[in-house]
Amino acid sequence: MLDLKLEDIDGILVRYNVALEKEMTPDEAAEELYPKDELIYPIAKAIYEGEEDDVIDALKAAIDAGKKPIDLINDALMVGMGVVSQLYDEGIIFLPNVMMSADAMLNGIEFCKTQTTEIPENKGKIVCHVAEGDVHDIGKNIVVALLRAAGYEVIDLGRDVPVDEVIAAVIANKPIMLTGTALMTTTMYAFKEVNDKLLEKGMKIPFACGGGAVNQDFVSQYDLGVYGEEASDAAKIADAIIASGDDIEKLREEFHKH
Amino acid sequence: MVKKYTSMAYANADDMLFGNSKFPVKAGLGLEIGAGYTTPELNYAPRPQAGKSKDKLIKEYERITTDAMSRMVQIGSPSIVLETEHVEQMSNNPSWGAEVAHAQKTIMEEYHDEYGIKCALRHTIGDIREDRDFLQLRGDKYSVFLEAFEECAKAGADMLSVESMGGKEIFDYSILRNDTAGILFGIGVLGSMDMEMIWKDITAIAKKTGTVSAGDTDCAQANTAMFIAGGLLDKNLAHTTAIVARAISAARSLCAYEAGAIGPGKDCGYENTIVKAIAGVPISQEGKTSTCAHSDLMGNLVMQCCDLWSNESVEYHGEFGGTTVQCWSETLAYDCSMMNVALKIGKAKDLRDILVLSDKYRDPQGYVLAYDNAYKVGEAIAKDGNNNYLRAKNAAIECCNIVEEGINSGKLRLTRFEITALAKVKADLEALTDDADKFTSDNLTKFKQEVAVFRPENYGL
Ligand code: B12
Repeated sequence: MLDLKLEDIDGILVRYNVALEKEMTPDEAAEELYPKDELIYPIAKAIYEGEEDDVIDALKAAIDAGKKPIDLINDALMVGMGVVSQLYDEGIIFLPNVMMSADAMLNGIEFCKTQTTEIPENKGKIVCHVAEGDVHDIGKNIVVALLRAAGYEVIDLGRDVPVDEVIAAVIANKPIMLTGTALMTTTMYAFKEVNDKLLEKGMKIPFACGGGAVNQDFVSQYDLGVYGEEASDAAKIADAIIASGDDIEKLREEFHKH
Repeated sequence: MVKKYTSMAYANADDMLFGNSKFPVKAGLGLEIGAGYTTPELNYAPRPQAGKSKDKLIKEYERITTDAMSRMVQIGSPSIVLETEHVEQMSNNPSWGAEVAHAQKTIMEEYHDEYGIKCALRHTIGDIREDRDFLQLRGDKYSVFLEAFEECAKAGADMLSVESMGGKEIFDYSILRNDTAGILFGIGVLGSMDMEMIWKDITAIAKKTGTVSAGDTDCAQANTAMFIAGGLLDKNLAHTTAIVARAISAARSLCAYEAGAIGPGKDCGYENTIVKAIAGVPISQEGKTSTCAHSDLMGNLVMQCCDLWSNESVEYHGEFGGTTVQCWSETLAYDCSMMNVALKIGKAKDLRDILVLSDKYRDPQGYVLAYDNAYKVGEAIAKDGNNNYLRAKNAAIECCNIVEEGINSGKLRLTRFEITALAKVKADLEALTDDADKFTSDNLTKFKQEVAVFRPENYGL
């Protein structure tokens, strides 16, 4: 078959990712971010590595050395996950690492709960769902994992969720935010219905919407909508709500980029 | 027992070409696919409001069909395939799908009678075998699913396809966790088992109705990997991992042809070049002409060995140049015209290689799917063709080797991250048993625990 000469390839296509790759390896970058406390460090590192068993071993060691299980959730598990989220945001590590770390962190939290009678606090509740009629749930699963990783309690309603079930869950849980994912132009209209029924019930909470079919123009058409492009935006929107309130106009100013 | 492929349909990779397949397929009204020329395959989706009632839906498809057929005649295209990918209502209510097929076919017959344009209608039934939380591959939903094939075939569909979902619950979980064994289990083992079941039944329906059992694509898994991997700068999945999933998917999609399908394989099966190398069936492909539906990193390359050339899907609505189906069918038809000229003047291999080289070094996915390398993946599958697990594993390992060769040649430039991901997948694969039964039972145990929505009975396990 015909072939290109090595020196001719660059004129035809540019591997921008190769050109821009950071010097530092992910492990080196993580090493710089771990907390220095010698009982916390191994927990954070095991979270980064996504090693569930190592997380538990390190938690046991810290508890044996006198750390309180309830404190370890915020001071070790969440901190380790913070390292992972930061590296993902900076483009240094990829999503599967985040998913594995999130699994390891949730496991660690469950373990800590078995070691104490105190109830851990979380940053707030969020209800997540995929639009009625739509089974595309991978994006939603990523959103859920990243929200949990960021310290939120997520009520995951799954996929193909009837509008009324979404409303009922919002009423029952009083979340700080609702998220919706839709990948089909035929299903995203359910978001408008959710919006209208929420307003009818006087529930004025930010409704973060994303997924392949959804775009900013569409989400701007209903009062509660805030558009997010990337799964990590869901956590950023939630953080913005915690930091400066749930004014939807303000959220749109920050997150509507187009 | 179905016959399994243990040898290659083509003696050399270089014998593979667009518009030509070892075993051409006659379909519809005067059309022959893979018989020395390429044909556009147009795919479209109704506007959301059109799904509200059966009558609206039928009207919408009538408009789509008339628009497309008239444009094909206006620009002098010798042939056209229309592909209707069912919206859920059409498969869940087989009579809806059937009435749409009938309405479309009636219009196509009028055009064929009046102008002689060669044409055929593909209906792709939706894989409706699931309820809200679980796959439900067998049982009641399966009966409706098969009924949808039969009704559409009787009502005018010429070619039957589906993008089936067997193994997806394990795959979805594994791909987000870099679980190589899970990816292999989901696509190569579970996916293959489901494919063998459904394609035996679909083929029986095709035989009974005098239609074409056309084939499947691993859209649900390999394309999911490709979409999650995304563009060069996306950080959601290593592209080296995505292409391993794709290589495995060739072993899985091959099962349709082993169970009696004869092609043309479906457009979004980027694994189709590998399948064609082994089975010699005609294939549909999509690339630069499917930017209306998604972005990929091999828009020219995938044209290399296509027999039908597709646009994947576009919503029906107006554009400056006509309706979308007119614009896109026209684009497809001009591409086909170019390929058909190349075939006539003896330049087809040059054109093929130009298409390949414009993308081959862009990304590991295109590199492995370039026909010379795709052929090697095919050989790795055929070597253990009788064993669904082993051949899928072979494909994955061969894929890793091919990417490594590319890196060593200096031409395929990858980030350190991609290279590390590749090394991990390869090490995982090399650590796996060669014993299919052991692999299956180990993973069955593991995923029953880890994946709450996994139901082994979906696979008769
Ligand atoms: C994988 C896939 C499937 C898989 C889904 C597997 C699963 N468990 O999800 C399967 C095979 C089941 C499938 C089925 C179907 N599919 Co499909 N599918 C796709 C595909 C190829 C990729 C989607 C995907 O997973 N992307 C990767 C994820 C990670 O992306 P994402 O969900 O958008 O999420 C990202 C962001 O959007 C964001 N995000 C997501 N949600 C949220 C929420 C918030 C708040 C925020 C901030 C961010 C955010 O985070 C993620 C990462 O950053 C697309 C192609 C495409 N162009 O999108 C078609 C596509 C979506 N499917 C399509 C169709 C038509 C179907 C079927 C109807 C096919 C059929 N005839 O049966 C069925 C639908 C059944 C149903 N009722 O839903 C069409 C939809 C067309 C339309 N009408 O709009 C598409 C666009 C393909 C096409 N071009 O035609 N599909």
